[in-house]
Amino acid sequence: MSMSVQGVIAANRFGLGAKSGEIAAASLNPRAWLKQQLQALDFNDGLASSGELEIALAEYQRDRKAAKKMAEEKNPSIQFGKSAQKMSIAVAKRAIDSNISLSWRLLDFFSNHFSVSSSGRRMVALAPTLEREAIAPNLDQRFEEMLLSVVRHPAMLTYLNNERSFGPNSRAGKRGRGLNENLAREILELHTLGVNAGYGQADVIELAKALSGWSVAMPIKEKATGFVFRDRGHEPGIRTLLGRRYKQKAGPLGVRQAEAMLRDLANHPATAEHLCFKLARHFVADEPSADLQAKLTDAWLQSQGNIRRVMEALIDADESWQTPAQKFKTPREFVISAARGIALPAFSGRKIWNALATLGQQPFQSGSPAGYSDLGSDWRGASALIGRVEWSTSIANQAKFLAQTTSEQAIMRQCLGDTVSERTAQSVLRAESREQALTLLLMSPEFLRR
Amino acid sequence: MKRRELCRLAGVSMAALSLPPLILAKDAEQGSPKVVWVMLRGALDPLHTLVPTFDPDLSKLRPTLYKAIKQDVLALSNGYALHPSLVNLHAWYQAKELLPVAAVSSGYPSRSHFDGQDFLEAGLGRIDHESGWLGRAVQAKNKRALAIARATPISLRSDATVNTWYPSRLQDASTATYESLLKLYEQDEQLSTLLQDGLDLQEQANSMQTTQRQGRFIDLVRSCASLMVGPQGNDCAMLELGGWDTHKGQANRLARSLKELDKGLAVLKEGLGGEWQNTVVVVGTEFGRTAKENGTGGTDHGTASALFFAGGAINGGRVLGQWPGLSESALFQKRDLRPTSNVYSWLAAVLGEHWQMSQLELAQVFPSASTLANSASLRLVSRSGLSSSKPMT
Repeated sequence: MSMSVQGVIAANRFGLGAKSGEIAAASLNPRAWLKQQLQALDFNDGLASSGELEIALAEYQRDRKAAKKMAEEKNPSIQFGKSAQKMSIAVAKRAIDSNISLSWRLLDFFSNHFSVSSSGRRMVALAPTLEREAIAPNLDQRFEEMLLSVVRHPAMLTYLNNERSFGPNSRAGKRGRGLNENLAREILELHTLGVNAGYGQADVIELAKALSGWSVAMPIKEKATGFVFRDRGHEPGIRTLLGRRYKQKAGPLGVRQAEAMLRDLANHPATAEHLCFKLARHFVADEPSADLQAKLTDAWLQSQGNIRRVMEALIDADESWQTPAQKFKTPREFVISAARGIALPAFSGRKIWNALATLGQQPFQSGSPAGYSDLGSDWRGASALIGRVEWSTSIANQAKFLAQTTSEQAIMRQCLGDTVSERTAQSVLRAESREQALTLLLMSPEFLRR
Repeated sequence: MKRRELCRLAGVSMAALSLPPLILAKDAEQGSPKVVWVMLRGALDPLHTLVPTFDPDLSKLRPTLYKAIKQDVLALSNGYALHPSLVNLHAWYQAKELLPVAAVSSGYPSRSHFDGQDFLEAGLGRIDHESGWLGRAVQAKNKRALAIARATPISLRSDATVNTWYPSRLQDASTATYESLLKLYEQDEQLSTLLQDGLDLQEQANSMQTTQRQGRFIDLVRSCASLMVGPQGNDCAMLELGGWDTHKGQANRLARSLKELDKGLAVLKEGLGGEWQNTVVVVGTEFGRTAKENGTGGTDHGTASALFFAGGAINGGRVLGQWPGLSESALFQKRDLRPTSNVYSWLAAVLGEHWQMSQLELAQVFPSASTLANSASLRLVSRSGLSSSKPMT
């Protein structure tokens, strides 16, 4: 079956790396092959939901107070770490096995866009639930739906300290509880408009006031989990954001004020530009062309931020298919593409986790609401490269006996199509052992970039 | 044509060779006879390792390669010599604990490393990924076997259980891999600069880095030895060492790699202590290299290579294997050292004596019957009265 350059690009640049047969399948009609992959993702893997975890966290807290010693002996705190690890590993494994890896790449992109980090017991438990519950179901929706889901999610509300942010003139505020601007600031700077998009400190405070009262239910006390709007913590009054006035609503309807702001922010032209720049940077090049950005931004504005339409525009744009490949794979992309390419049964969850941690991209550990960098220069360190050589070698050592039924040539072709340089092909085929051949394949310029 | 010729070679009978015992008789109380199989991946150059200084064509075929070692080679007997790096092996030869065999082949008819290695490991005259010669021997004799590897190599595969051990914290990538990568990145400035910087950084960060890297095999051997001694020690182990695919700069690379091998084997002897007297070490490679040196100071994939037996149990101090000569007509396909005997003939003879294997058992391990001809009379290994009290039939 013939393999085209575009088939290789479809599988490796847009997808998470070619699996067996993918390049050939993509080569028939690379654009259609990608578009049919665009869909929302769901998780029916039986792993804990944020609600279940909230209950467990609350019970843990209660038990610890009641019988501190016993709780320490059992140390259920460790269980939260384990459940979180399991969730992240499950996502990586789904991505590795997927036939629609474009959507899994998109999940990674937005999960990193709305980055939350595992610091403290609560966030260790909750961080991995955000992408599952708020991002995955909205991958084919308008961006405003995703934004609203994310901002209402306990992981984000907790991570950026909004669950205890109360307006100074609210009933709760009058009893001394204060406003926290953290979530509002990051929504403007990172999630929507982007830094230097013309908003000021006054806008941050206005959004923060509108978001005051957006909180998380207390499972034991309130017998509920998830998002809750605390009317008594909501700052009363009309708010003005980016020159636009948002009416005050009474009681529980107060939630609508910030909802309206978030919808407007999601559909703001600056948000379109910001997100489209990030998408172009993620998929095509660290410094994407103005033409490509313009095409995506047009599609965004015309579709009111419909993610599927924007992705279709990205797939249709000639600029997206340029050669040579511009993107240097992040550790996550490197590990997942290696796992997809080599199809190692030995790629256990634990190994995937260790690889991501060792190579510098442990899930939910970026430590910043800006997430992990999407720039090659931040991943292309000299020591980082050595780290990849060592990891590739250890993987190749485990793979060599499993790979015996498939020739190195076949694996190389399956991963990189017919576009492998003469130099790479010869290095791999003339390697002195199978393990060295696999190491050289994984470390080849063609495999390191996409 | 080529294939048929090699297949014929695979059946070379050792009856044609008149040999004294390969195994020495020992009076001392013996532990279990031990076997260490050291596989050199990448095709060792035989002419640069077991050097036939007597052959008039050597200088002609290898003006620079031979010159690089000619003055310093370590003389054996009959005009053979060892590469100057092999000082410990040379001392063992003098102590009759080293037995080199010249011009051997597994019968593998082509020149691909991977297939050649699989072929050699299977020991069936064909590639089989489920079964290896040492694994079948381990199964037949119910031995305790160990692979210093992450997964069981083909050599040790059979229905028997094999232990694998590999240090998790050792750096995995070999010098050879880094050399290949530097070459692979030659036209990619970004990656080649990064890799070079990374390697420099490593050396700066730890001035021991280079020696550690080179000493890696030594560390593995040390661990291997410690896992073979004592009442629970393994009877048999397999080690692997790469770095033999010397297409260019062979003189320097082999000087380094052979030194690593030599030091590693010395560490094995040291680590085995008294068990060395019961030990047979086998060092082999998938095939040899071209008789003529190439244009980049190296050699390319060839056919026959050398095989080494070492250990206190070996009746050594002589070079075996018939020398085919290096004249153009003597060379295989006018380019490679021609095999004159089959690797498995020697392995069968040595294993048969050392592990007291019956003909039936040997037939299962090395199912090519012709390789077994006359193996009982070979006496390659120096086992105690056991072999005389239980003569093989």
